[in-house]
Amino acid sequence: MPRGKAKVLPALFSIAVFILLEMASLNMLSSDSSVQGLWISRAGHHVMMTLWGSSRSISYYTSLKETNQALAEENVRLRLALEQYRDGEDAESREELSDALIAEYKPQGFTWIPATVIKIGNNSQHNYILLDKGSEDGVTTDCGIITGSGVVGIVEVVGEHYSFALSLKNTDVSVSTRLGIDGTSGPLTWDGIHPSGARLREIPLQNRFSPGDTVYTSGHSSIFPSGIPLGTVGGSRIVDGSTYEIEVNLFQDFSNLRFVTIVKNTGRDELSALERKAAEKGL
Amino acid sequence: MRQSGPGFILIFVLLVIAQMVICNFLNLTPFIMLSILPVMILCLPLRVGQVASMLIAFATGLAVDFFAEGLPGINAASLVPVAFIRLWVIRLVFGNELFARGEDFTTGRSGLGKVVVATLILQGLFLIIYIAIDGAGVRPFWFNALRWLASLLAGTFVSIFVADLLAGGGRKK
Repeated sequence: MPRGKAKVLPALFSIAVFILLEMASLNMLSSDSSVQGLWISRAGHHVMMTLWGSSRSISYYTSLKETNQALAEENVRLRLALEQYRDGEDAESREELSDALIAEYKPQGFTWIPATVIKIGNNSQHNYILLDKGSEDGVTTDCGIITGSGVVGIVEVVGEHYSFALSLKNTDVSVSTRLGIDGTSGPLTWDGIHPSGARLREIPLQNRFSPGDTVYTSGHSSIFPSGIPLGTVGGSRIVDGSTYEIEVNLFQDFSNLRFVTIVKNTGRDELSALERKAAEKGL
Repeated sequence: MRQSGPGFILIFVLLVIAQMVICNFLNLTPFIMLSILPVMILCLPLRVGQVASMLIAFATGLAVDFFAEGLPGINAASLVPVAFIRLWVIRLVFGNELFARGEDFTTGRSGLGKVVVATLILQGLFLIIYIAIDGAGVRPFWFNALRWLASLLAGTFVSIFVADLLAGGGRKK
């Protein structure tokens, strides 16, 4: 055996044993203590964010064509909206239209932070997204992530320059939604099987809906603004004889997700403080 | 004369039990985490290679974790890196002659100063990992830094006696 190889192999073996023993120890810690487990998990996510952040430019360069097309389509949509605004006949109708546009494009009480997807997992039950914006850009945990096609995920861990988010295609993520603009609210989760399939649960039997009805965010949580369209109603079934479970076909295509918007509730600290005070008073 | 063979193993096992007793009954202050495990790994004979010493460190750490700390994995996770860099630290502090002669270091022949320096390096690394895991990101930096420094000084002081037990003898002539 060559001399160099004879030195390298034992060194590699030592490193492998070291990694194995450390992983075993950390795994024991994670499974035994939730505080340490969370810390280790977050540290792991930070490492992942750094690793993937440095390699994103290459993969984006290869898909500039699709990106340009998506941006061009969004440009057309915004131009049409602008034309509609300019064509408003009187001040009153223009104001109404302005309010509608603000409601559509920038709900009050939320700040928007544009971000780019560094990496996205789509092949497991617990998919995640890495974004190129972090605490220095104003991102905090529990910020929502949306696109023009609906909800994408929720920020879970924030680093200085990157964020780790749970994708909507993660069976642990639940979004408060409602059927139609004025419909009943219920939690929506990914069905865990289809790339664009989700389930809306806890819809009372007296509620009427039809296939093709749109499902929107309810705005009942402090994560997402209300009225963001998520998908359309497909089939349904009755669960335990008491509520409907509705299949939802999501608008969002996660396979070519690139540019997203992080929505941050500016009043969440105040809301949390209120909730804490209420809890302290036993309400 | 340095301990070897069954004598070394017996003292090593007794010191592991002593560490369990320290963890269970000697809680002086939250700022001091007294550990003699790093110096025990340092004093393993040189013929115990890197992989074998990591396995010994893992088993020793786990034994202390299960019988004393109540947080399985914390001592093991902190002690395995100590074993991983042990031979490099010995080479750095004591020089290559030990390896060339195939001799183990002793407090007498190699000098207490070198043993203290090697202990400081390994104890420091052990405490960085231990305190980071124990704090889990929820304790302020100043607390962790103060705890590290106090534990390092206290641990190194106690380690001198442990080193004398495991690697004593061989006075300079």
